[in-house]
Formats: sequence, structure tokens, C-alpha cells
Amino acid sequence: MKKNGTLITDISVMIAGRAGDGVLFTGNILAKILKRQGWWISTYRDFPSNIRGESTNYTIRAGLNKIHGQADEVDVFMAFDCGAILEHTDKMAEGGILLCDGLGLGKAAPARVKGRTYHMFPLRKLAREHYQSELYKNMIALGALSYILDLDFRVMEGLISEAFLKKKGKKVVEDNIRAVQLGYSEAKKAVEPEELHPLVRRKDTGRLLISGNEAIALGALAAGCRYFAAYPICPATEIWQWLAVRFPEYNGLAVQAEDELAALNMALGASFAGARAMTSTSGPGASLMMEAFSLAGMAEIPVVVAHVQRAGPSTGMPTKTEQGDLGQWIYGAHGDFPRIVISPGTLEECFEFSTKAFNLAEKYQCPVILLTEQDYGQNLRTVKSFSLSGVKVDRGKLISQGELGETKDYRRYRLVEDGISPRSLPGMKNGLHMVESNEHDEYGYRDEDPDNRIRMMQKRMRKLENFSSDLFAPKKWGDKESRIGIIGFGSTFGPIHEAMAQLAEMGVKAKYLQMRTLWPFPKKKVEEFFDSCQKVFVVENNFSGQLARLIQSEVQTPVQIGNILKYSSQAFRPLEISTAIQRAL
Amino acid sequence: MRNEKDFHLSDPTWCRGCGIYGLFTSLKRTAATLELDPEKSVVVTGIGCHGRLNNHFKSYGFHALHGRVLPVASGVKLANPSLSVVGISGDGDAYSIGLGHLIHALRRNINVTYLVVDNRLFALTQGQTSPTSQMGYVSPSTPYGTKERPLDGLRLALASGGTFIAREFSGHPKQLASLIGKGMVHSGFALIEVLSPCLTHNKVVTAQWFKDNIYRVDEDPHFDPRNRSQAWEKLQERDGIPVGLIYIEQRPSYEELVLPNVKQPLVGNDLSFGIERFKKIMEEFE
Repeated sequence: MKKNGTLITDISVMIAGRAGDGVLFTGNILAKILKRQGWWISTYRDFPSNIRGESTNYTIRAGLNKIHGQADEVDVFMAFDCGAILEHTDKMAEGGILLCDGLGLGKAAPARVKGRTYHMFPLRKLAREHYQSELYKNMIALGALSYILDLDFRVMEGLISEAFLKKKGKKVVEDNIRAVQLGYSEAKKAVEPEELHPLVRRKDTGRLLISGNEAIALGALAAGCRYFAAYPICPATEIWQWLAVRFPEYNGLAVQAEDELAALNMALGASFAGARAMTSTSGPGASLMMEAFSLAGMAEIPVVVAHVQRAGPSTGMPTKTEQGDLGQWIYGAHGDFPRIVISPGTLEECFEFSTKAFNLAEKYQCPVILLTEQDYGQNLRTVKSFSLSGVKVDRGKLISQGELGETKDYRRYRLVEDGISPRSLPGMKNGLHMVESNEHDEYGYRDEDPDNRIRMMQKRMRKLENFSSDLFAPKKWGDKESRIGIIGFGSTFGPIHEAMAQLAEMGVKAKYLQMRTLWPFPKKKVEEFFDSCQKVFVVENNFSGQLARLIQSEVQTPVQIGNILKYSSQAFRPLEISTAIQRAL
Repeated sequence: MRNEKDFHLSDPTWCRGCGIYGLFTSLKRTAATLELDPEKSVVVTGIGCHGRLNNHFKSYGFHALHGRVLPVASGVKLANPSLSVVGISGDGDAYSIGLGHLIHALRRNINVTYLVVDNRLFALTQGQTSPTSQMGYVSPSTPYGTKERPLDGLRLALASGGTFIAREFSGHPKQLASLIGKGMVHSGFALIEVLSPCLTHNKVVTAQWFKDNIYRVDEDPHFDPRNRSQAWEKLQERDGIPVGLIYIEQRPSYEELVLPNVKQPLVGNDLSFGIERFKKIMEEFE
């Protein structure tokens, strides 16, 4: 299937409207159809923190090759409201098409300007005329998109059935299917053949369409997380909500805490009692958790905190993406204590890191922060089906009743070489101990002797003195021989990869170091990377270059660092990175 | 048979005459009477003079952050309901920095016994005014006298859905032990305020002052702690401080309502994950 003789391998469809228009619902059905037609998907939601009224848009990108983030341009615009979309038309690709309901396009529509076509398409009017309800506008829009994209109608029918049959019955399914057909035939009347963007149909090879939050929740469930306490916050709540539904079947419990202070303290209480415990949060919630984060470090209690970053500071922009909370977890909370901060660069890693975070927390008896962003947390992406084969529950030095035996001298914080003392659980015989938020002796009792203090501080800190092999080492991508380096973490993964491809087309070879564990800092690997580069660009979604600053404080290098920063609350587009690098060279 | 010594780990070091000694004795006595197993008991304390208690009381212990006793105790209890969980706070811990947690613990009715040692000031930080200090109280933090009205934890508890609300004077260890015992047997959240003189810092609200101002609710033959209106009336009275069991109500505990299986603690779960179950979940995303 070709557009003007060229096979379409990559397409972006933006659906826009006002909050409450059903933009997300429509987009998700489109994403699923394309996924079932064998395409790789990456969605991008740009929603306000508002239930009704404000303008909102959702972009579904589909590629025949794997994609991880949004594209530079949009090919097809479908808008329930012109105002909601006209501000984005500067991103319209050449040959692009826009269908818009409502005012704002002017009387000249349909119009073709510089190869881009603008149509008035009365979604609401059609819905009212045929169904006496504007609700059907979404299905009419999907019908029009079906025509433009040449979607598989049987897949569409199947999805409509899945969405409505159980909840609303056969009649609603039939009405919706007819509305799709109506949209299709109306689009056929309005749209010229050369404006179409027909997409090939391939086999859906058992991929999943999943959000980062769902992947993290699934990873936690597979890893044996059975206690979850959290407070509602965008954009992290889906992790908790996903688990809350499924926990009863696994004898697990999700608790709605009164605030984030309680959430993390509850998780610590449950972990002390022996449960694999977790909480999830974002910016302001994380600030409230700092106190208990420090407690987890001092008391050596394993816990996992999934932090899905939104744009800060303060209340900031709760539904938008950013990477501004890296420093919060690396430097945050009072006192010095060991901590692990990991950040997945793909949805596969969201699952993998989540499963392993619990092992790391129990192995090192310390808090583990799973740091991601709204872009990964809430947007959908296709991944190969996850596998259980790499998932092993390793509870570290948790001792059994048998191992405790008849010991009369159990010491919870025994001074051992690796700093990790065997842990007993309340209820165990001969394992009695105190967990102390104060400085304490080996038994856990408060002790303010300076020599004891030094011993205990060193004991805790040596747990993670070195970057050990079970942490996620940085991953190298791109041309090994290149002297131009790019460093990033988390959801910049996709745009950096695409930017490297764009740079290659411009004749610039680059390589990329994907930071996966941010703390403890993988000093050696990063130093090696710098040694092999003449210039290194650090790409991150924040104002101050938090990753670059971290690198500068950890790595001695004469190599110059170039900051590529974006703090508009939007994820990077590939061209923003590639052009910034090209200009700087 | 158990006796108090089974729960005595070491001799405490509070100031001479401190009310917390009375609480320490009462708690040991209750634990012995109820034949608790130190290894199946968890005492969670907050920050303040009371927080030293689990350095001396034999059980699993958790000395939490200031004000965070109840979230920790709740986490412990929900993860393993077979443990006996006691939380201890001071008036600063419970009624100032941790007040939000108290209200929610009350409305959840989680099966934890919560002892609030009320000495009407912040003792460990050298005597500052607390939420229970009386109007006009002069202290290093309020040199011209506090202009804030004292908070009444028990009235708040009744309004928040508390199912076991009681108060006792630390100088009456026998009655206090009996009350703690009732609180621990109660299926649900038990709040027991322990009036506790601080001889070092509080020169106004002394042991004698407490003795002169308290009266026992059970001396009134018509008083029924199961009657909410009567409890409210007692707590409204301005002449004297009512002590004893003020209110009790039978309501399912939080863990009975939320845990999939209250008899099978989630800490005992087999964490292996069947491949078939996993595949079924994958299907949701296909």
C-alpha cells in the first residue's frame, strides 16, 4: 500500500478536541487496530490536568519498524474542534491531511496549501442527524480514519465488540459499527484519492500494547510485590490501580493512604513485617516521601518507589512529562545513606527493572527508586510479549526460622564485611530485634557513641560502595568508532535513536550511552565513554541539566559537555536533538 | 504462664517521677496477663521521651519517625495480622505532626492499640508548647503564652469514627493495664490516652494536678460506654477530666474487610508466578 508510489513505513495521526470529547478513547481504538495490523505503536498524549473543556490532543504513531517515541511531524489530523488543532498544524507533514469539525478553518475549506489539505468534516452534525447524539462522533471519526488509512474493518468490528458488547449490549455494538461505516462513506465523498495514507496490513505477532505504568505494575506483580500503599497522583496512579484490581487473586493488598507520608511509611511497615512492598508517586508526593526515604536508608528496610515524573516544580503541570526529579532522589532526603536509582529506557525495561527492583531492594536492604516519566508511564507502546523466564524472586539475606535455629545472639545490624546483615522477620523465634530511626548498635538499640556511629555509617555505605554487576550497567548504542557521544536516560531513548539516524543522513556518526542505573553512579563505564569521545551531548528533559551535573561531579574529563535541554513539558522530537547537535559541531 | 519479667529487657532511664514509667509497667503487666509472645508482638514508637520505651520492652520494635507511628503500625498489621501490634506516641507525635494519620486510622478501624502519652508539652526538645498545652501556657516556644486552644484528642476520635476510646492516668498502673488489655482484645483500633506528668518541664500540669482533676466515668452507674451520646456528653464536660473506657463500639476491623484472607498473612505468600496466569494477563494487552 503506497502513497504516491512510496510505501508508508511510519505515520502519525493526531486526534484533538476538548477534554471530555473522547480523544483518548478514539486514539486507543486506533492504536489497537494498527497494532493488530502488525504495526509498532507509540502514542503521545498531551492532555491538560482538567476533566472537561480545555484543548487536548493525542497522537498515534505507527511504524513498520520499532519506534519508541513521537515523530517530528504529523501526517493525519482528526479534530473534534478546530481551535484544538490549528496550533499544531505547523507540525503537519507535506502531503498531510486535516479533517476538522467546527469553526476556524474559514470558508475556503477544503483547501490545499503547500501540499497539505484542510477539510471541514462535520462529525457532530452527522452524529446528531443519524443518532440524535453527539456521542457517535468518535466512531464517525474512526470511520473517516478507516478510509484515509485503509484500516481493516474486521479488526475494527472486533474491537468495537470488545469495547461495548459486555457493558452495553448488541444494539450499541451495531450502532457503533454503523457509525464507523457512515464516517467511512462520508470521508470517501470528501477526500481525494491522492490525499489518502493507506497502510499495509501485516501479521500481529503476539505483541502487547501497553503503557509504562502497566508494565511496571505487571513487573511488580510478577516479582512478588504483595503490598502497595499510595496516594492518588498524576501521572503515577495507574500502577496502583492496576495492582489494586488484581491483588485479591494473589493474596495481596493495595491501600489508599491518607498522604504520601503515610504511603511510604506503610510500605516500610509492611516490608519490615516481611512483605514485598511498594509505593508509586510523582513530584510533590516524592517530596513528602523524602523523610521516610531517609528512614528506609537508616533502618535498612527494602522498599520500591516507582516515581513517574511530571513537570515541576510545585504542582507544576501534573499531566505533562519531564525529567526534573533525578536530583531529588540522588541528593534528596537528610543524611547519607545508600540508595539505588534506576531508570528504564524502553517499555521492556519498565517491566524488567520493576521485576528486578524488588530483588535489589532485598539484596541491599535499601530503597530502590524506579524513575520514569509521564511519557513512558501513560503513553502506550508496543512491545514483544514479556517473558517470565528472567523473573526470579531472590529475597537476599532474609533468614528463615531454620537458619535462626537456637541462636541467642541475633543482631539485626550485625557488622559484616559486605555491610548487608541477615534479616529476620517479626514472628520469628530468636530473631527479636529493633528497627531504629535513630543511630543504633548491632542489635538495633539506640547508640550515640561516636565510634559506633562511624562503624554503622561505614557498614551501611559499603553496601553500595562499588557499582556491582547486578545493577543495570549503561548500554552503548550507535557507531563505536564515532567521537561524538550522546548521553541520556529514561524516555529520551527513542528520540536519541532517531536523532542518530538523522545525523547519519547528515553525514554525522554518533554513539549513545544509555544510563540505566543513575545511582550508584557507574563511574568507570561513563569515564570510558568520555575517553572515547571528543564531544559529548547530554540530552535531558529539564532546565538545569541534572544528569550533566551529576556526570560532572562524578567524572573527571577534559571532554566538553554540551547540554541539550527541553523543559517545555513535552517530550523531545528527534529533529530537536539532531539539529542541536549538528549546529554545535 | 508469663510474667512481667518476660517483657522486661532493661531498666529505663526516664527522669525520676516520669509518667512513662507507669505506662511501661502497665504494658508489661498487660502483655503478661494476655500471655503475649514477645516474638509475636511489635511495638512501634514515635519521637519523644516515650520513644525510648521499646529500647526496654522486650518485643520486636520499630522506632519510627516523628508522627509516623500509625502508618508503620498499619503496614505491619496488614502484612501480618497474626502479630499483636501496639503503637505508642506522645501528644506531639499523635496530635501535632501525626494528627492526619490518627484520624484516618480511626476511620479505618485497623486492629492496632494506640497509646498516646499526654504530658502536655514537648519534653524531649526541652519543654515547648504542644497541641494539648492549655491556653496561655508559657514555654520557650511561646514566651508570651500560647494563644491556641488545646486539642481534645478523644472528642476528635469520637467524631472520626473511633471504636475504642479511653483515657487513664499513668499514676494508676493497675487501671491502665486493665484498659490496655481491653484495648488489645478489642477487634479494631483502640485509642488510649495516657495522662502523664513531666516533672522536669511541666510545673503546672503535675501528677497532683492530674489527681485533682480526673474523675472516673464508671463511677456513674448510669454511664454506658456503648452509648455514643453519653460518651459525647462526658467528653463535653468542662469540670474535670473523664478517665476510663469512654466509648466502645463493635465494628469489623479494617483487615477483616480488606484482606483477601485474614487467616493467611500476605507475608506467608508463595511468590512463584505460574506461567499460565502470566500468559492470561498478557492476553489483556494483545
